Amino acid sequence: MSLKPLSRPLTLEDAAHLLRRTAFGATDAQIRALAGRDAREVARELLAFDQRLAPDNPFKPQEAATPGAGLQLTRAGWLYELLYGPHPLREVLVLTWSNHFVIGTDKVRNVPMLAAYLALLRRHAATADFTRFTLEVAQSPAMLRYLDNDQNRRGKPNENFSRELLELFTTGLGHYTEEDVREGARALTGWTFEGGRGNQRFLEEPRFVFRAGQHDAGRKTYLGTSGFLGGEDVIRLAATHPATSVFIARKLHRALVADTPDEQAVTASATTFRQTNGNIRAVLEELLASEVFYASRAAIIRSPVAYIVGAVRALGQPKLEAKQILNLAQTAGKMGQLLLQPDTVKGWDGGREWINDSALLLRMQVAAALTLGSKAPQRTEPPSTLALLGTERSPWQAALAGLNAQQRTYLTLISPEFGLA
Amino acid sequence: MDRREFLKYSALAVAVTSGMPGFLARAAAQASGTKTLVVVQLTGGNDGLNTLIPYSNGAYYAARPSIAIPKKDVLTLTPDLGMHPALKPLMGLWDAGQLAWMENVGYPNPNRSHFASMAIWHTADPTQGQAEGWIGRLAEKIGDPFCASNLGGITPQALRASAFSLPSIDGVDSFQAKLPAGLEGAFEAMLKTPRTGEAAYLGQATRQMLANTRRVQQNVRRYREGARYPEGRFAAALRDAARLIAAGTGQRVLYVSLGGFDTHAGQRAEQDGLLAELAAGLAAFQADLEAQGLADRVIVMGFSEFGRRVAENASAGTDHGKGSVMFALGRGVRGGIHGESPDLEDLADGDIKYRQDFRGIYAEALTRWLGLDAREILRGDFGGPRWIA
Repeated sequence: MSLKPLSRPLTLEDAAHLLRRTAFGATDAQIRALAGRDAREVARELLAFDQRLAPDNPFKPQEAATPGAGLQLTRAGWLYELLYGPHPLREVLVLTWSNHFVIGTDKVRNVPMLAAYLALLRRHAATADFTRFTLEVAQSPAMLRYLDNDQNRRGKPNENFSRELLELFTTGLGHYTEEDVREGARALTGWTFEGGRGNQRFLEEPRFVFRAGQHDAGRKTYLGTSGFLGGEDVIRLAATHPATSVFIARKLHRALVADTPDEQAVTASATTFRQTNGNIRAVLEELLASEVFYASRAAIIRSPVAYIVGAVRALGQPKLEAKQILNLAQTAGKMGQLLLQPDTVKGWDGGREWINDSALLLRMQVAAALTLGSKAPQRTEPPSTLALLGTERSPWQAALAGLNAQQRTYLTLISPEFGLA
Repeated sequence: MDRREFLKYSALAVAVTSGMPGFLARAAAQASGTKTLVVVQLTGGNDGLNTLIPYSNGAYYAARPSIAIPKKDVLTLTPDLGMHPALKPLMGLWDAGQLAWMENVGYPNPNRSHFASMAIWHTADPTQGQAEGWIGRLAEKIGDPFCASNLGGITPQALRASAFSLPSIDGVDSFQAKLPAGLEGAFEAMLKTPRTGEAAYLGQATRQMLANTRRVQQNVRRYREGARYPEGRFAAALRDAARLIAAGTGQRVLYVSLGGFDTHAGQRAEQDGLLAELAAGLAAFQADLEAQGLADRVIVMGFSEFGRRVAENASAGTDHGKGSVMFALGRGVRGGIHGESPDLEDLADGDIKYRQDFRGIYAEALTRWLGLDAREILRGDFGGPRWIA
């Protein structure tokens, strides 16, 4: 079974919807440029991004004076890419993967480690090989450090990574036993990194090493397969397990289709995942050209980062000062989404979890800063309804009659409708 | 908006979706209680054996050659048990009979996943059949979405209700909605527009937030700090809890979290620091309540989603285990050790076998402290030690 493709050419509202999900939002002109086009063709073009970054990114983590500054600059540098980068879909996916293969700056405080982790997520954002992606994550110093596999030695296993590999990165709960966790940990012994350890060396580049002397080369049984399994075998068995296809498909649907995805549609994407041997690009291309995608409007509560980036992109990407961007990265953190620092290794659950009193208050502050404040970008006309709300007509147009452009934009940014994608 | 109006508003919001008839009458009776329960969540799986230490037990030292707390450092409580030295700020409460330890607490078929296990503690349901949390159910029973609040940025599942979301207050000072002059009417009109689906949820959440912030700001100026709190988010959240209680904003349950207990490597350094932060924050909170004359009205109950393995791993840390200790403190608490210590020589899969179901500990707080029907909230009959004085 595969997903039914959208048969009509994109309408204006289809195009607005697509860009809300794949670019955090867009201007009226960007939306209009896609109207009338074929959904599959547009999906393919959006997914054909390269690795180019935003020019003139003012944040240079490698020049940081302290580890703490390194983290702040890394965060702000990523937010800059989200706000102004040439490939918003790539960054949507990087954000999604950073919330899947979670690492956290409470433990990972080395600047090159974080840069390498982000570069890895960008390289594999729409990967053709999920197993390869998982393997590279597992061998990244950031992950080795975050889940303690750098300390996993023969005869003295550390189960942290082995457990989360199954529970959170591949099969999900219910598809493995405690014995699999223990055997996986044995197979992953000896995977560690060298360099870049300690507060003094936060700018030194670490690299993956395999220490054969610390590896448990004995027989193991993992997910039903027995043999002299090594780390690569364990990663492959977990990443190609049938349950993994469903687990990953559901993550992608939650990121791009709905907070509560349709399980039949998830199953269809899982089938595509298996038939293509874990080709995420193929899964995404089918998904972004499907009827189910275009039928699912206003079904995702925007995350704090998506809210901020969506506002700035809908406003036509006004230039913000470096200090404002640093502040916005911190504000997203106060709303519950500090980049590279989810509260736990499970990542952010999203959906209604994003919404509470304090987060709503902060949304009001961000909206005010972007529209009403003394440093707010000036404008005479508010962005179009299409750009702000994704619909051609606002459901509460009359309520804003008599207000000026800044005020109308402010109230629209704090409306329930803008909070959704 | 006054309290009556607020309850009427939230009642309407609830009644529409939950169809609970006549709960407004119950609300008037129950929400007026004057006792507060502060729940402290230690996120990440706190190692119970290095918190309440079986220092007379050779098996403890044998299993933990590098991370066991040396006997000479243990804060002796009984001939067999003592506290981690970082908990020293709590010794005064122990001596005053106001600190209780509940030994060996867990639940059937323990789950070693942080998230599955935490969900079990949050829903009070080891089958995880409940999407809403036990405090969410409590709030629905009382019928007041303001009767429980989280102090922090993200609302834990424990405070999720089926019909409404309970407030999360991330800093009392910043908990106010300031709309630029002249926009109130338009904002109101925009919020009133009929909506469906997630937009309706966001609209309702926004209106609720406006009511909640008004309620807090009207009351909170009454507070004068009665103790010096240490630095850090955890202590700041406890200070906000004290402010809300002193201000009489009416919450029956306040929820505070301290994270970082997932000590797979280098446990001594990490857990020592966290327990010190815990103890310093709680000691300041109790001193503040004493100074405010509120200490008779507040107790604290603390838990973690699981303990750690009995044996240390090779990284001088511990992997995920099962049962652990809970604690409670305050004048309303019967101090002492409640329950039996785990048998360290009779393990299941390297873990202690729990003896006390955590729902029995919750039940005591619900019935004997908050005066609520625990059976209804926990959906079952759970017994436990009499840890409320």
